[in-house]
Amino acid sequence: MITAGIDMGTQSVKVVVLKDGHVVGRGKTFSGFDPSKAAEEACTEALKKAKLTPSEIDHVTATGSGMEMALSSDSTISMMGADARAGVFLFPAARTVIDVGAEEARAMKCDDHGIMVDFVVNERCAAGAGAFIEAMARALEMKLEELGPLALRAERASPINASCVIFGESDVVTLIHRQESKPEIARAIFDAMADRVSSMIFRLGLTPEVVLVGGVAKDVGFVASLKRKLGVEILIPEQPEFAGALGAALAAASRTK
Amino acid sequence: MKNPNELQKKYVPDMGQKETEDLRNLIQSDSKKTIADYISRMKKTSPNRPKAMEYFDEIANLFGQRQKELQAAKESGKKIVGYFCSFAPIELILAADAIPVRVNSGWYDAAKIGDRVVPVEVCPMVRSTIGAKMVSLSPYLELSDALISVSTCDGMTKLGEIMGDYKQVWTLPLPRVKDSAQSLSYWNKEIRATKENIEKLTGNKIDKKKLRSSIELVHKATKAFRRLQELRKGPPVIMGRDAMLVNQSFMWDDITRWTQKTEVLCDELEKRAQEKIWACPPDTPRVLVTGTPMIWPDNWKLPSLVEEASPQGVIVADELCSSDRILNDPVGVDEWTMDDMLHAISERYLMASTCPCFTSADGNEDRINWLINKVKDWKVNGVIYYVVRGCMLYAMEYSRVKKVLDTINLPVYYLDTEYTREDVGQMKTRVEAFLEMLTARIDF
Repeated sequence: MITAGIDMGTQSVKVVVLKDGHVVGRGKTFSGFDPSKAAEEACTEALKKAKLTPSEIDHVTATGSGMEMALSSDSTISMMGADARAGVFLFPAARTVIDVGAEEARAMKCDDHGIMVDFVVNERCAAGAGAFIEAMARALEMKLEELGPLALRAERASPINASCVIFGESDVVTLIHRQESKPEIARAIFDAMADRVSSMIFRLGLTPEVVLVGGVAKDVGFVASLKRKLGVEILIPEQPEFAGALGAALAAASRTK
Repeated sequence: MKNPNELQKKYVPDMGQKETEDLRNLIQSDSKKTIADYISRMKKTSPNRPKAMEYFDEIANLFGQRQKELQAAKESGKKIVGYFCSFAPIELILAADAIPVRVNSGWYDAAKIGDRVVPVEVCPMVRSTIGAKMVSLSPYLELSDALISVSTCDGMTKLGEIMGDYKQVWTLPLPRVKDSAQSLSYWNKEIRATKENIEKLTGNKIDKKKLRSSIELVHKATKAFRRLQELRKGPPVIMGRDAMLVNQSFMWDDITRWTQKTEVLCDELEKRAQEKIWACPPDTPRVLVTGTPMIWPDNWKLPSLVEEASPQGVIVADELCSSDRILNDPVGVDEWTMDDMLHAISERYLMASTCPCFTSADGNEDRINWLINKVKDWKVNGVIYYVVRGCMLYAMEYSRVKKVLDTINLPVYYLDTEYTREDVGQMKTRVEAFLEMLTARIDF
């Protein structure tokens, strides 16, 4: 059986093609102004890698904030439901799945059967999501990818308040004026973000194993800060930004059964 | 009574007449569209909607028939008493031949006007009610001769004070520790003082006979109300939004007529249940909503999302002072003496309430018990805990409710929002994920 999952994210569209329980193709494009077209392109890319044609796909499930714009989909699944499925598929012992994306952070609790039993979402605020890191990197005149490795070199923590991106930025400016070193400031940024995300997870209840997915899972600075706040090991799959699409492809597979 | 024009405004800034009128006309015309839109969406969700709902669709027009009736009643010399919390003893208002009407505002855009008086951190229902008054938007609030304000939460307490800029306000101090030895007797004295206030306003003495007949009138309404909720225990014969509109319209409709129309609706629903005509598929996830009151028309956001979602949910019960809590508890009179009737009224409004403004040795145990009973008897699959920003007491009680529901393995989702239309997309994502989760659990 061949299925596909399309994750219509706020920043990029991700596609996963699944054949008999194995990932055979992935595709990714920027969502841009025409997410439907972006989805088509990502699908074409994924199918090319999988050496398949669209007609060979049995079922396509879409997820993500723009899921209704994935024109070729047969069904939809919520982002939370997709993440939970992917987390438990990748790490069968996973009971808490955290997804930190560009605009949103969320955490899902799963039961022994891999079914989502509870979830939380960060409350209308980008301070717990990837957009925060981007804004802060700009404030430090650095590239997004440089910030994480830099933070690992910090010798101590200098707390800032990440109640929102705007105030976070003014806090960072305060640190710059205090002539704090760049590694310390970088760590402060990730600590603040991890504070937001971890308080949300503690509200949900932290049940190991803990899996982190979403684009921000690739940022070593954030992962280090989150690990410190949660006090547990965090499992991260390869290419964590494809988790939503994978979950959707898994849902598609169970829907064709 | 003081002429409102002579009142020195303590809170509210002066607004130009033109701006006031422009804002009122703008919000009013938008509101008429919102009302029509929500009604048509309710019809769409439920293609075989009960015929008896037609009456409630009419009465849902806040600028329609009921406004004219109240206007006419007022011109014939009747007094209208507005109230903000469901603690106002409507039996006393009715016994003085006056008309009770609840005047909380559900208008989103009015909240922005209220922002000129209080900061945005304040509960949007309070801000909106202030804003509605500033531009004379709410027909029922405008027609009120006096207002009953109850010192429940902080927002409501100050709302009454701010309304003093416009109207005669009677503030009832509510004792917040329910099981204290003094609370009931204290509250009983306040209820008696309210009786005197109402008598003074109306010029009508509330005697034993009149009070008994008004208590009996509300008893009949309670009977119809409970019959409707009872019918929601089984497979869905009515969508939650429809039932909530029926419940809420009690707040401004003529009580005798409302009772009769609700009984007609229940007759129809009973027949449908026998014929197994369901409002939605019987395996639709059954949702209970609890938290901040949701006021018609604009703040119909959450119930609409739940019942229009994919997968769909159906609200079978709630714990809202704007819906299932309105008429749940009858005034229990032992002897029809004046003293006993007043005591029974005091008891009904104080002791039966599950408002989070209360605490006691067990905390707000009454609310927990209500929720557990509702969840069991109405076969609820999941609870949505709804809080608007600034609604401190409901937000603070969440952890306790969550713990209790966890022990009976019932999913609950905390959903916070504002008086705004802009977050509908985000809310939809969350509501649909929650319903998807409930569906998965039902299927499993």
